[in-house]
Amino acid sequence: MARTHTPEETKAAMHGVVEEMYDRMMKGDAPTMTLPVRTKKNIGFDSKLGVYKYGKKQSIRDAKSLGSAKQLLRALHVIEFIEEMIDAGKSSTLREMYYISEGWGYGHFSSQNESNNLAEDLEIVTKCLREDFKLRPEEDGSRMIGDITVNERNRRGEWMRINARDDVGDSGYGVPYNVEAEKIQLLEHDVDFIMAIETGGMFDRLVENGFDENHRCALLHLKGQPARSTRRILKRMNEEWNIPVVVFLDGDPWSFRIYASIAYGAIKTAHISEYLATPSAEYLGITADDIVSYDLPSDDLSSKDVEALKAELTDPRFNDGWWQDQINMMLDLGQKAEQQSLAKYGLDFVTDTYLPEKLAEMGH
Amino acid sequence: MGIAEKLASTQKQIAISEFFEKNKHFLGFDTDTRALITAVKEAVDNALDACEEARILPTIMIKISKHDIKRDIIMLKVRDNGPGIPMKALENVFGKLLYGSRFHVIRQSRGQQGIGITGVVMYGQLTTGKPSRVISKIATEETAVQVDIGIDTQKNKALKTKQERITWCDDAGELIEHGVQVVTKMKAKYQRGKQSVYQYLRMTSIVNPHAEIFFTDPDGESIHFPRVTEKLPRVVDAIKPHPSGIHLGQLQRMLKSSDERKLTSFLRHNFSGVSQRAAKELIAAAELEESNKPKLIKPDDAQALLESMNGKRNGTRGKPVKLLPPPTNCLSPIEEMLIKKGLSKTIDSRFIATLTRPPVVSQGNPYQVEVGLIFGGGMPADKPVEILRFANRVPLMYQQGGCLLTKAIESVDWRQYGLEQAGGKGVPKGPAAILIHLASTYVQFTSEAKEALADNEEVFGEVRKAALEMGRGLRRHLEKRKKMAKTKEKFELINDILPAIAEKSASLLGKPVPSLGGAITKIMNAVICQETTQWNKETKHTDVSILLYNYTARPRSYTILVSWPESLAEMVANERGGRKEASGLWAWKLETLEPGGRAEVTYSLAGLDKGDWIETEVFYRGAGDVIGASVLDEKILADIRLQEDGGGENSEVDADDESIGKNENPIEVISESNSPSVSQSNDSVSAESVPAPSENPNSPDSPTLTSDADDISQAVMNKTTDLFKQQKLFDGGGA
Repeated sequence: MARTHTPEETKAAMHGVVEEMYDRMMKGDAPTMTLPVRTKKNIGFDSKLGVYKYGKKQSIRDAKSLGSAKQLLRALHVIEFIEEMIDAGKSSTLREMYYISEGWGYGHFSSQNESNNLAEDLEIVTKCLREDFKLRPEEDGSRMIGDITVNERNRRGEWMRINARDDVGDSGYGVPYNVEAEKIQLLEHDVDFIMAIETGGMFDRLVENGFDENHRCALLHLKGQPARSTRRILKRMNEEWNIPVVVFLDGDPWSFRIYASIAYGAIKTAHISEYLATPSAEYLGITADDIVSYDLPSDDLSSKDVEALKAELTDPRFNDGWWQDQINMMLDLGQKAEQQSLAKYGLDFVTDTYLPEKLAEMGH
Repeated sequence: MGIAEKLASTQKQIAISEFFEKNKHFLGFDTDTRALITAVKEAVDNALDACEEARILPTIMIKISKHDIKRDIIMLKVRDNGPGIPMKALENVFGKLLYGSRFHVIRQSRGQQGIGITGVVMYGQLTTGKPSRVISKIATEETAVQVDIGIDTQKNKALKTKQERITWCDDAGELIEHGVQVVTKMKAKYQRGKQSVYQYLRMTSIVNPHAEIFFTDPDGESIHFPRVTEKLPRVVDAIKPHPSGIHLGQLQRMLKSSDERKLTSFLRHNFSGVSQRAAKELIAAAELEESNKPKLIKPDDAQALLESMNGKRNGTRGKPVKLLPPPTNCLSPIEEMLIKKGLSKTIDSRFIATLTRPPVVSQGNPYQVEVGLIFGGGMPADKPVEILRFANRVPLMYQQGGCLLTKAIESVDWRQYGLEQAGGKGVPKGPAAILIHLASTYVQFTSEAKEALADNEEVFGEVRKAALEMGRGLRRHLEKRKKMAKTKEKFELINDILPAIAEKSASLLGKPVPSLGGAITKIMNAVICQETTQWNKETKHTDVSILLYNYTARPRSYTILVSWPESLAEMVANERGGRKEASGLWAWKLETLEPGGRAEVTYSLAGLDKGDWIETEVFYRGAGDVIGASVLDEKILADIRLQEDGGGENSEVDADDESIGKNENPIEVISESNSPSVSQSNDSVSAESVPAPSENPNSPDSPTLTSDADDISQAVMNKTTDLFKQQKLFDGGGA
């Protein structure tokens, strides 16, 4: 199971990468870096962990072309940089690392994406986490409201006790980029389930209507495709407190993928799926069914939407009967709908009628 | 009077000039814009021909100015530095149609009919009522003649007025030694763009690299086309007609005017390609007697003789009488080197290939095809390729689509050579220009306008062959560039990135830096060829150096071949020796190159001018790819060798012919001594029909290949070799 590593473990793992290159050159061959293939074709379901992980396919990056040789050199620079950070007790954002690379001569990054991708490559090869590398992303974590109490260690190293209902304003508690045990401790709660919500508008609606109090739940705003820290905190709460998670999103192919990344793991982070995924998370809506039964205002599927739905039919993460039905239904319907379209029936419809009905169906 | 007589009495002879007056389109004066171009063309042609005959390097000045804007009257002034025309001859040259020394002589010439300048005078007179003013000075006289010349179209005679002797000076006040100037006012329109006087002069200067042209347009803008060589075109000799192309009327005239006593001597002395044996056979085939007197030959017999001469009657062997081909020293091709210079002076480019095919014969007329392909540089990539057509060094500007030369170019699939071409047919698109020059004693045009060549299967085939050759050269050049570009990346990889990876990985692990020899060979895995061709100021030679580097893990052995201008230069300072592989192709077998090893071939070329030879094409024989050289196509080499041996038909070795040299009058030597092999009769030609047309990526005066940004500099190559040498090579690695 993926976990954080000690500095020594991290360094040793990174050295493994260096050794592959070094040993090959000693043998009189061109240096290489071997890592798993990171596409849909190399994703497999790990039944033990209940999540999707990378399969056995490997790809070998070698020095035969100028572009890939430069990637190898960059990897070495990044490894050196991370070692320096670990030794100095500092951390850096990916963006900062991109700028620092300007001073790496031939090993500099030519784009931010390149730098992000290399960090991920290293995570996968070393089986370490970005956190072990002391690298932080730009993305924010999400907001949370509900009767949940955590202990957060602030920048001065002091622990702060925070309740996500009483100690916060209407925008809730902001989830930090690092939600590991060294940073966040889950203290106590008084909720029956956690609802993860896609749009800010819907989150605010539920907050304004006091849904968390009336229905004894915590509300988590995903902010679209959720950040790793968001998925991680969901998983921790689900696992450590044994609280069910329901997911309330827009009804379109992209939202289906958001659900999949929460429940099963994202293709890009498949190497640490068991670390970020909440396999027991349930999909509440908006479903293709809902569009029909609630007669929701809807939009036509664009050609890109149709393509995405068709791709999902062959995505291993949607390979169960219920999902296949839903996807096909949406294709037949030719329509998609936003979660906020429930407002057709009034601002309170979602909290007074829709959600209670759906939750009852799901047994909450 | 009967009807017939009545009608007969009303008929009178029409003066030729009057006929032409009514049919201006024959002469090229059908539109206002065309008229101006034709006028310039005639004057310039005359100047070039006269200068060449007198062996003077031509300097021609053309000035076009607006004379009367309302009535579209333009004044055209053309001045040349030719030998001049004697006073007595002026009225015939400028005032009489169909006058000239070229009609009875068979040799390559610009103005085949010589109607030329008189047509201009006449057109000027027709449209403005004014005569043309001519000044002519010959070197042996102190003063020049100035006269106004018009034409009496009824009598086909000149009308001279205001004739006087003047002291002729140029704009700087210097006395003019010899030359001719014509000033004509005519109704005409000056147009810019594709079919314009400017384009005509530009094309003329390309195919007459020895000519200097100054042009001032109606807006006062001056353009100077400098000469790029001091060499005048070869003196062209006249040749006698060849039996296979003779017509009945011609034959009868020749018979009637002949003083020969025997038919055999008549045939041998008045035609080219007729040996004693052939003469006898021709006469026998016509069922005549050798002793027949030519003057007394009857029309029917002349017809029979014609048939045997045209190959329509069989000789004693049961086949048409075999004749020698006509000599080809009557042709004056431009020559590859000069075409290159001419093209590069007007067009900026990266690559030029030219080819002069050996002369051949079609229907009794010798002809020769020259092709040039120029590519890259500033030419637009999304426009159709510019096609520059020439016949006997005269530009053809109109009717491109209907011209044989264009059709031959269109029939090639240029897509395989690096140009775009919809469906593989038609004019290709790309940053290129194609030049085609047909030199012949008798050029067939599609119409009187002399703008497009008529269909001719043999000529078509020759142009096509030459075009294919060009295409192959272009493809080799483009492939070489692509390979070099890829290789350049690899050099960067090896010189910069790989050592950095080695050092950093070693420092992170705290271990010694690994040696890179094995990695280099695995990554590079190539043999690189670096060619430098440079002008040496001190020795006045062109120094060539070919370096070969073996960046593979195995020893390699190669034979290196280079293209060189054998006919124009001498190879000196060639320490390795080597051997001649074919005309213009020299070979050296190199010693085995160890991994990491290098070899160098150096030599110099004497007898060239600076800028004549800028790039040497390198070929190789051996296992494994060489980047920077092309693998030798053995099939093409075999073709070249075949051509060098003179080809099948042309080399006739016949016992009877031994007698040729002995019985001749000295005069006869001209045509006979050149017959043995067509390809050798014109020296400057055979050597250049080699598989490797040389390239000219830069204009003649700019530095050599190594300074080009895309190429790998010597320094980089050396750095890599040093790097290579410093490493200890791994013995066990496979290639």
